[in-house]
Amino acid sequence: MAARFEYRQAQELSAALHKNRVKYLFIGKSGAILLGFPDTTQDADLFVERSPENGRAVVAALKELGFPLTAAHEKDIVRGKDFVQLRYGPFDLDLVFAPDGIEKFADAERRALTVEGMRVCHIDDIIRSKEATGRVKDRESLPRLKAFRDWWMKQKRD
Amino acid sequence: MNAEQAEWIEEFEAAAKRSLEERLRYAFIHTYKPVLDDEPYRSFDTTAEYRRWCEENLPSWLGYGRTV
Repeated sequence: MAARFEYRQAQELSAALHKNRVKYLFIGKSGAILLGFPDTTQDADLFVERSPENGRAVVAALKELGFPLTAAHEKDIVRGKDFVQLRYGPFDLDLVFAPDGIEKFADAERRALTVEGMRVCHIDDIIRSKEATGRVKDRESLPRLKAFRDWWMKQKRD
Repeated sequence: MNAEQAEWIEEFEAAAKRSLEERLRYAFIHTYKPVLDDEPYRSFDTTAEYRRWCEENLPSWLGYGRTV
């Protein structure tokens, strides 16, 4: 079992992604947590732009961080499979190339925010994505997440 | 606003007073999820395929099944 994702690892992940010019956004509950949502999760979720160039950059960043990617796994990432789950690195990480509810990476990128150097989906995109999954666990967490969205937007306005 | 929602607001305000480092310390926990955590690597061609795999293979109490 990998170590849990901590601040130092978030910084190292962010640094490696930026160094390799990866186009990415934190999404899911990990993204909401970076925006200030108080909740718990197990892994970090990255929405990654699908292109061979970006896939190669992701592979380079992950290898720098110590993920022991095999040639087959590298191929999956460069190809941009919709969903890649990594449980053998320094922390648990999901790569999401096609999140539910979001049409294009570029659209989410335009709405995204930067939190201490980390690129994070806007809370509306995180909610949209969770609504679109239709999963039980997302349905249960949505009322509190939407309440956070309203509170968060109000803080930004005031 | 009901009592539960008022409690949520208190939680949001309390979290906003903490540094990101502190918030991440409380947020990322590691609990074993059966089946899901049993393989070091998985990939799926489509998100639909991943959702279907979750529904067919994960215990329902993990909440990965769909509501509709």
